[in-house]
Amino acid sequence: MPDYNAVDGGLTLASRSELSAFLEGVERRAFKQALFAVRDEQAALDIVQDAMLRLAEKYGHRPAAELPLLFHRIVQNAIRDWFRRQKVRSLWTTLLSSLSGGTEDEDRDPLETLEAADGSNRESTPEEQLEQTQVLEIIEQELSRLPERQRQAFIMRYWEELDVAETAQVMGCSEGSVKTHCSRATHALASALKARGITL
Amino acid sequence: MNEMHFGNRIRQALNQGLRLEKSHVERLRAARERALARQRPEPAPALAWADNVLGGLGGWSGVSLRLVAPFAALAISVAALYTWQQNRVISDFEEIDAMLLTDDLPIDAYLDRGFQNWLKKRVSEQ
Repeated sequence: MPDYNAVDGGLTLASRSELSAFLEGVERRAFKQALFAVRDEQAALDIVQDAMLRLAEKYGHRPAAELPLLFHRIVQNAIRDWFRRQKVRSLWTTLLSSLSGGTEDEDRDPLETLEAADGSNRESTPEEQLEQTQVLEIIEQELSRLPERQRQAFIMRYWEELDVAETAQVMGCSEGSVKTHCSRATHALASALKARGITL
Repeated sequence: MNEMHFGNRIRQALNQGLRLEKSHVERLRAARERALARQRPEPAPALAWADNVLGGLGGWSGVSLRLVAPFAALAISVAALYTWQQNRVISDFEEIDAMLLTDDLPIDAYLDRGFQNWLKKRVSEQ
């Protein structure tokens, strides 16, 4: 049972355990979202870490119900900041990545460990597991290829299960824009998956 | 195509991909614990009330627009009015000084209160 430590205008302020539970529940999806955007595991981990720190430091006392929107907004801002920094340092990044052979991570399948770690799906045959892994890999690849705003809107709406108004608040745009982005993302994603032989 | 249905299928697929490498899980756990260690303590009731009021105005960014801007405009107006008044007084004195310096007056005229009143009256008439 959550330990409520204060009441703020009818809304319960987030206690330490509630903040902990919230972060634990959202951190992996946030990591994946950042990874879809920046396509760099370490950068994605840094983004999630920064977002967690910012949420706890600046909004740790806010009502628990406000945490999801605040956190998603912080994550999106952190991703945008990362792209801005990359743009400024693009020359150095290109130089360093060519010297350090940074393509190793890109070539490696981030879901290779899925089968080994998958203990809850013992009834599936190896073939089925392989197929699931491949489908997931393709979905994640195609999500990464979507335009940034379309991907944001789609993920907020259908993975984070925010409604249109909440998604608009996180993205800082109108509800109409969210609907448009979602519709375009859905059609683009469905077409791309169909072209690769996947029908959902 | 039903967008909602498609979105739900994608969500189910993505949720299957949330099993991360152990190192990533550990890194996220460490980040979470660092964040919890820095959780901002609950503010005092007065501060909490002020924060709520500010939140209702759109947060600290809203404050800058809705509160600070009118006060800044008022301060600028008062400063401009004060400067204009000061310039006007200085200008009056300058005119009197100029008249005194250009006219060939006896030294006693400077001590004559009636003369000074006449000068002021003349300036005000102009």
